[in-house]
Formats: sequence, C-alpha cells, structure tokens
Amino acid sequence: MSTATSTATSAPTSPAPLTGAETLVETLKRVGVEHIFGLPGGCILPLYDALYETPGLRHILVRHEQGAGHAAQGYAAATGKVGVCMATSGPGATNLVTPLADANMDSIPIVAITANVPSAAMGSDAFQEADIRSITMPVTKHSFLVTDPNQIEATIASAFHLAASGRPGPVLVDVSKDALTALVTGDAPLQLALPGYHPRTTAAPEAVSDAVDLMLKAQRPVLYVGGGTVRSGAHQEVLEFAEITGIPVVTTLMARGAFPDSHPQHMGMPGMHGTVTAVAALQRSDLIISLGARFDDRVTGARDSFAPHAQVIHADIDPAEIGKNRVTAVGLVGDAKETIRQLVNEFAARKAAGETYDYSDFVERCNIMRERYPLGFDEPEDGSLSPQYVIQRLGEIVGSEAIYTSGVGQHQMWASQFIKYEQPNKWINSGGLGTMGYAVPAAMGAKVACPDDVVWAVDGDGCFQMTNQELATCAVEGIPIKVAIINNAALGMVRQWQTLFYSERYSSSQLPSMQVPDFVTLAEAYGCVGLRCDNPEDVDATIARAMEINDRPVVVDFRVHQDAMVWPMVPAGTSNDAIQYARDLAPNFGDDE
Amino acid sequence: MSRHALSVLVENNPGVLARVSVLFARRSFNIDHLVVGPTEDPKVSRMTIVINVDSEQLHKVTSQLDKLIEVIHIEELDDATAIREKLWVINDNGPRPVGAMANSWA
Repeated sequence: MSTATSTATSAPTSPAPLTGAETLVETLKRVGVEHIFGLPGGCILPLYDALYETPGLRHILVRHEQGAGHAAQGYAAATGKVGVCMATSGPGATNLVTPLADANMDSIPIVAITANVPSAAMGSDAFQEADIRSITMPVTKHSFLVTDPNQIEATIASAFHLAASGRPGPVLVDVSKDALTALVTGDAPLQLALPGYHPRTTAAPEAVSDAVDLMLKAQRPVLYVGGGTVRSGAHQEVLEFAEITGIPVVTTLMARGAFPDSHPQHMGMPGMHGTVTAVAALQRSDLIISLGARFDDRVTGARDSFAPHAQVIHADIDPAEIGKNRVTAVGLVGDAKETIRQLVNEFAARKAAGETYDYSDFVERCNIMRERYPLGFDEPEDGSLSPQYVIQRLGEIVGSEAIYTSGVGQHQMWASQFIKYEQPNKWINSGGLGTMGYAVPAAMGAKVACPDDVVWAVDGDGCFQMTNQELATCAVEGIPIKVAIINNAALGMVRQWQTLFYSERYSSSQLPSMQVPDFVTLAEAYGCVGLRCDNPEDVDATIARAMEINDRPVVVDFRVHQDAMVWPMVPAGTSNDAIQYARDLAPNFGDDE
Repeated sequence: MSRHALSVLVENNPGVLARVSVLFARRSFNIDHLVVGPTEDPKVSRMTIVINVDSEQLHKVTSQLDKLIEVIHIEELDDATAIREKLWVINDNGPRPVGAMANSWA
C-alpha cells in the first residue's frame, strides 16, 4: 500500500466531509473575502457557527441589516473589491433589499448571503420565510437559491465572479438551512458554467475608428464622464484622453473624482444641480462622448430638449445602455479603461498622421462661462451658519485624500459641489436610487476597507436618523468614522421643492432636530464623541477638534440656516436650457455675443 | 408596432420564467404569446415569446433580455422559420401550430 517515499505515520485518509456552512466559509476565504457585515438569525445560525473564530475572516456585527448592505457598498466603492453582507431569512433578507437596489443602480459589486427556511418548509409560509430570490430579481444583477449543499461552493464562487466582472453589481445567494447543515458529498463543482454570461471588455476596432472620425469632425465636443470610469479604474485613461484631445470634461455625480476638479479642462458636474458651464457645454455641444455614463434623467432634464444638436458616442460595458435613453451614433461596448485606451491610441495615431481638428472656439466659450458662473452661495443675512460654508471648509481642511460619503438631499448636492475631488473612490454616495440613510453605514464600510484614511460622512438630519444605529457598531468595533450632520431641522430638499414649487406649503418636511433628538447626547450614548457648532467662527476649530479624535467615532451637529437652497437648479421635468443660476436668475449662455 | 417572435434559449433553472416575465413587466413590454419547452439538452429550455413592439423597443427588450445571466441565446424568428420549427402554441382553442398564428399576424 504505502510507497517507499511515504513518511505518513498513519494510513492516508480523505479529509472529513464539510457541512454546507463550512464549505461556504471556506469558499469565502478562497475568493479572498476578509470582511463581512451581517447580523444572524435562526436560519443562518449554522453559517454563523461555521464562521465562529474563523481566522482571516472578520465579521462585523451590525445593528440593522440595511446597515450591513450599505457598509458592503461603502467597502466596495472605496476599494473596488466585492463587499459582503449577510442576513438571516425573512425580515433579515428583506432588510437587504434597499442596499441591493442601490448597488444595482450604481453598479457596485456586492454579494449578499442569506439563509432561508429548510427546503422542505419552503412554500409553506413558514416562520421568517420570504422568497428573497424572487423579491430581488429586478434589483440585482443575479440572485441564486441553493438547496443542494453540493452547489454551495460553485454558486458562491460564481456570485463573486458575477458581482465583480462586466458591469459590476449586486448578487444575492440564498441558501436553505438544510443545505447549510448537510454534508457536502463528493464531486461538487468549483464554478457554475454560466453559459449565457460573456461580458465584452474590448470595443470593436471599427467602432473606435468611427468614433474618432466623429471627434475629428466635431467643433463642440464634450467628454461626459460617468461612474463607470470609477468602477473600471479608468481615471488615468480619462486624464490622458482629455489632455490629448483638449476636449472639455464634465463629471457626473457618480464620477466626481474620476477627473481632477483642479484640472483646467474640468467644467464641473452636469445635471439638475450641476454647474452652469457643464450644463451649457452639453446643451451646446455637437458631440457628446459618453464614458461609462447612462444619460440619467437627472443629467438630461427633459430628454427631448437635451443637447439637441449633439451626436453621441456612447462607451459602456453594458450593451443595453447604448441607445437606451439617447439615440447613439457610435456605440462602444467595452470596459471603460480598455475602451478609453483604444480611443487614446486611435486619436494619437490620427493626430500623428496629420489629421486636424479645432475645438478652440468652444473651449474658449466654456472657459468664459466658467469664469462668469462659478459655484457659489449667499451667506445668511442673520449671521447664522450656512450649510455650504460648513461643507466647503470641511473639504478645505480635511483635504482631497480623505473619503467622503453622503446621504441624499441638499447636503449631498452641496458635498458634491463644494468639496473638491482630485481622486476616484473618494466620493461615495447613493446616486441612482437616492437612498436616504446611506452615509453612516457606507462610511463604516469605507473605514473598514481603508482604515488609514480619514472617512467623513456628510449627512443630513433627516438621513442621519434613518441609520445612525450603526454608530454603535462603529464604536464597539473600533471603526472611528466622523459624521458631519448638516442640521437644518428639515427634510431640506423636500422643503426646497415646496418653497419653489408648492407655494411654501411645508407639508411634513419640518423636523424638530434642534430639540429632538439631541444629536450630541445621542452620539455620546452610542460611545462616540458629540460636538456642536452653530456659529461660522467656530467651524474651523470644530473640524480641527473632530480631526484630533481617532480612537472613537465623532459626530458633529452643525446647526445651519434652514432656508439655504441648492443652486444652480434645473426644475424637474424641464429643459436644461431652463437652468437657474440662483432663484429667478437665468444665466446668459452667451449665444447673442 | 409589429409582431415579433423571439426564440430565447435559457438555462433550465427554477425561477427563470419568473425572471423573464419580471423583466418584461418592469420595462413595460407586453407579452402576446409565450411558450416554454424543453430542448434536446436537458440543461436548456426554449422560450418562444411573441411581442408587439416597434423596432427600437425590440432592440431594447432583446438587449435587456440578453443581460439576464440565465439567457443563453436570443434569435428573432421570421415567419418561415417559426413555421419550420413547428412549435406549438397553446391558446383558448387548444394547441395549434405556430404557423397558423404566424399567418394571422398579417
């Protein structure tokens, strides 16, 4: 039996068979998972038992499953790695639906692992049973249900592959409790076949050549840079493409930081609350070169009047995006990093061959617009604190190396406008779904992923109250995030619309957040440091104080003027031509000059 | 708007029909006829879907369908192909060959 070289002292035995739960944990380790955000319950107990004291895998116990999902998103958005969240059956799983839908809209790679009731009980309306695979079908890249322990390894490995490859997105794996407890027998596959999944990463060379043809003929081209460039890590390629062509650049809400704000070709953010220059550049352009963007309605305004004279080159890894919202002259299906590299090479070759182009008039007009209509704000006449000032100082003092997350609403728009972003993956927000409460858990995830980076959650008083329970997680788990609550005692963006469009009838938009809750004592109750600032003179010192604290989370209650509004603004459903620089103030696009 | 018949090969997994119909519902496309049947490969099923859309919508619905992980292949059938395949369509009058339906499209 034994050979001469064998040194075994006992007869060779095959390793003890693993349970489904143990296999799942081993697979997570195999695909490189280091952190999991989750909360256990009845059906997922076997998996938590297998996780217990597993070296190399840190489980962070959240206070609400939604927090686990957004933390996984923040983790993924900060690093590009797949974020992982975990929840039990029924309500645990349904609490993950919002983060999954959010990640689906913003193409964030996360894997959600849920347990379900034993397969024999499925369909019987058992305790804590929910058909989460079906519930999440329209809001995930894919969702799996596993009832066979032999399929666990292949399904988990495939889920990570699907989440991270092609257009990234959320994948859910629901595993029945009996599959977790049963032993894996014999020849389980390592990976699913996925015969229908073949993401294309390289654009067709003819299409690249056609695109450059259009670029050389254009007089008023704009690089419309979207979040796909961030997910793809294409910021260097975007910079080269902009510089070799000299074309003005706009960066969407999801792409803030994909191209440096300080760059002279940067015209700002387009869209409803974008800069006048970015909006005007797109409206007046004759060629939009869309790089990982999707012509979202918050960018285009009324679609029939969006950039009426522009042809479109649309580069996206998702073929379904091309032509979805806007007729496209040239579609480039491929990964942003590769596709932009192809465009740079083709453009450089044509330039070297002596082909000419001239964008100088348009560039000059864009530059004039930018001089004329910089982002700005009015200080409140009563000397109270302006929210824009707080956010601007935060960006200036903390700097562009830090990570900023935000919730959704006025504070989000101001954080996108008044903090200057120079690098990708530093601005993390809920763009497509617009999920209030995103900031605190996303900051937690980002801080776990990047423990050496300063992470600030810029939050509103409304948003903060949706998910602030994760401050307990941060305090207990040693995740020292910093939170700036821009407290205007209102659901600010709702209030702004009511001011502008509903005759100042403030229906259900006022919050008593200066009295209840007391954010400082709330922070302290959670084991965090609570600070307060309601005076412009104290802003710098308060931020400096918050920056000194690194052993605990810090929450700053910035009490700001309630009537501040986000400008510029394109009223919803109207043409981008109707942009207002400030209330009742239409910019001059310079068409008559 | 005109009728189009799509032959869609999908992985023969539980829930795949729900996934396809959820997509049609979410993107506001109405299904006129739908037949699901096996193929010679037990891992693969064929869906024959008839929809009434214009060509731009047809492009959108096929590219959205193609995004589904479990969708392997999509082909638009012309009438002749549909007849040749001798697929059976179930309707109120019981089974009849798809060719009869195809003829009634005009």
